[in-house]
Amino acid sequence: MKAVFRIVIFSFLCYCQLALGQQNYSPFEKEIIAKSKNSIANPDFTKAQYFFLQKEWDSCFVYAMRQLSVDKQSEDIKNFCHFFRGFGFKEKKLFKESKKEFLHITNNFQFHNHIQMFLGEIALEEKRFTDAINYFTEIEQLHPDKLLGIKKSSVKHNLGLCYLHLGKYDKAEHYLLEELKLEEAQNDTSVLVGSYGDIATLYYDQYKDNLAIPYFEKAYQLSKKVTNYQLKQNAALNMAVVEENRKDYAKALTYRKEYEQWKDSLNDQNKVWEVAELEKQFTVKQKQKEVSLLKAENKIKIAERNGLLYSAIVLFVLLGTAVYFYSEKTKKNKIILAQKEALSELNTTKDKLFSIVSHDLRSAVNAMKISNAKLLENLAVKNLDELDSLLQRNSAIANGTYNLLDNLLHWALLQTKQAYFEITAIRLYHCVEQMIYNYRPLMLEKNLVFENTISKNDIVCADQESLKIILRNFIDNAIKFSKENGIIKMYTQNTDEKYCTLLIEDNGIGMNTALQTALLKETRLLSKTDNEAISGTGLGMQLCKSLIQKNEGKLDLKSEIGKGTKIIVSLIKKQPNG
Amino acid sequence: MDNVNILIIEDTPAESEALIKVLKAHNYTIIGVAANHKDALTLFYNTKVDIVIIDIFLNGLPDGLAFAENISIVPNAAKPFVFLTSSTDRQIFERAKLTNPFSYLMKPFNELELLYALELAVEKFYNQNDVFLGEEENTIISQDYLFIKKGKSLKKVEISDIIYIEVEEKYCSIITETEKFVILISLTKILELFDSHIFCRTHRNFIVNTKKITEIIPIDNLVLLKGDHKVILSDKYKDSIMQRYILK
Repeated sequence: MKAVFRIVIFSFLCYCQLALGQQNYSPFEKEIIAKSKNSIANPDFTKAQYFFLQKEWDSCFVYAMRQLSVDKQSEDIKNFCHFFRGFGFKEKKLFKESKKEFLHITNNFQFHNHIQMFLGEIALEEKRFTDAINYFTEIEQLHPDKLLGIKKSSVKHNLGLCYLHLGKYDKAEHYLLEELKLEEAQNDTSVLVGSYGDIATLYYDQYKDNLAIPYFEKAYQLSKKVTNYQLKQNAALNMAVVEENRKDYAKALTYRKEYEQWKDSLNDQNKVWEVAELEKQFTVKQKQKEVSLLKAENKIKIAERNGLLYSAIVLFVLLGTAVYFYSEKTKKNKIILAQKEALSELNTTKDKLFSIVSHDLRSAVNAMKISNAKLLENLAVKNLDELDSLLQRNSAIANGTYNLLDNLLHWALLQTKQAYFEITAIRLYHCVEQMIYNYRPLMLEKNLVFENTISKNDIVCADQESLKIILRNFIDNAIKFSKENGIIKMYTQNTDEKYCTLLIEDNGIGMNTALQTALLKETRLLSKTDNEAISGTGLGMQLCKSLIQKNEGKLDLKSEIGKGTKIIVSLIKKQPNG
Repeated sequence: MDNVNILIIEDTPAESEALIKVLKAHNYTIIGVAANHKDALTLFYNTKVDIVIIDIFLNGLPDGLAFAENISIVPNAAKPFVFLTSSTDRQIFERAKLTNPFSYLMKPFNELELLYALELAVEKFYNQNDVFLGEEENTIISQDYLFIKKGKSLKKVEISDIIYIEVEEKYCSIITETEKFVILISLTKILELFDSHIFCRTHRNFIVNTKKITEIIPIDNLVLLKGDHKVILSDKYKDSIMQRYILK
């Protein structure tokens, strides 16, 4: 008998949980969600409500408590918080705490009836059956509209149970049958199994075996249709007990076996779940391992790729620098080659210059030697007239040679940039006069007329010494290329703002155009003129060009064969203010 | 007019002789020839030198340059000088350039170049450029002398010998106790450079050496000067002349 009793209690608990878990939430949820929307300002409450819906009771307790610890708040929120806590405690079977929380809630709370119901259930759990009956009857008497999701059947069921425990079988029978009616209307098999079991137990306790057995059987039959092993097990066990009491041991044994079977399958199921859980964990671990392995592989791959990339970059840079240096080298080589060519050209020029100069010098000195020998001869015979002309000739040769050497020296100085060079204001007239002074005897000898019509106010900017060299050379040339009784004119033109143009004009033999252009050309090579007899090295002309350039002047010439030559030298004018 | 005194500093006798010949031919007085630095200094300080011709290299050393540097830093002692050199060595030239005024003559030179260089040195030294070389003027005024270009050479006249100057347009007649000659110079330049304590105007065209005044006759508007020279005294300048004369 004891076993039956225990089983019945067990089935009731199961039922109770089911009822709560499935039906009582929706009105709460709606209400609670609505509430939380109104109180976004209370994050704790929102969280408490969230955890409540998620059935995470511990978190729910914490946030509800926090919300309660805040001073100012509406009664409604307070009630909800207590409600969350009470419900949670009840779920965790901490009935005393639960009861305390529920009692904190004021009577005007909208789920007041639920609280009554919960309190009743708690009383039932605590075996205070009379208290429980008080709670339940209160609810039973309510109008169905006010129940808000509380199932009437469960109330009646609970009442039935209470009376059953108190031994008031007639009342218990009354409630349970009523409940059964309601349940049959609902046609929920698993609940019906419980209800049939309960009624059967009720009759069985009163030893009304005839009434009890059909219910047991009904319960048993129905239990075959449900999947809940617990219910199947209970039904089978009940049948086993009933058959045992009827002394039909064979049947009892079958039911017992069936019971064992359900029990085992329950265990099996648990085991299967456990195994499945383990397997799951195992596979998860396996997957995790694979994942980490893949990750590691990926890392290695990335590292490899980066390594390749870097080495490629380094190689590229190296290649770039190599190419750069190579091109630099080729460039330098080109420059060096060009310089080499220029140098060898210069060297040839220099060699040529040397040969010409030495040739000229040799012939000049040779002429002097011969002349000197003649001089000595004439001196011996005291031919004084001849002496004079010979000396004149010697002096002329010496002069010419001296000029050549002087040009050579200045050329060398110019090339090595050793000479002192300072541009100053120079009066052209005086400078020309000073230069002409040396050539007076020469001009006299050739019976040349010289005219210097340069204004005394013409002042040019030039280096004194280089200007003298330029003038000397041009005057020398003019005399050299003049015929007897010729005229040499020097004059200036001041047509340009920046330049003072000096002209040296003769009516001598002149030059052809080819020679003119050759003389003016920017060339380092010396030109040997056709007029071998009186032309020089061309060194003088080159020197003049370079010096005029250095003095920032310009050189031009106009010449016609047989009519004469005009040398045009433009020098920078001294500006009145500077 | 007196000859200009020239001091030659040259160590090669052949060259100095050539110089002397040319200079004498153009009425310059050679006051001495020094062959070394020490002699040069002695001669320079013991004679009345007007122009110095200096060979930069004396016995292979740039002693001429040292001499020029020496005299050009002594105030009141400095005189115009011309460098002679046979090289255009740049370092030497850079150094020589620092001795202001700087004029040089490159060997070999002809007499025109030499005379020109002397004139240029005087012009540069007294900071009155383009006098001898231009056509407007021919006289340079120093502290004690007038240097006058006469022909190809220079002459000098002691300023204290001047009795009076008569201005006629751009010419000025200079009258000393012994001579009378005409120079080309502007009146403004004379007034600017002559000592105004000694020379003063008596007339638009007359400048008189006050030290040579013997008598002033205001009634006749005449100033009598030494050597029986007479100069007109105009009303415009009468007061200032009288005042100065009386104060003395």
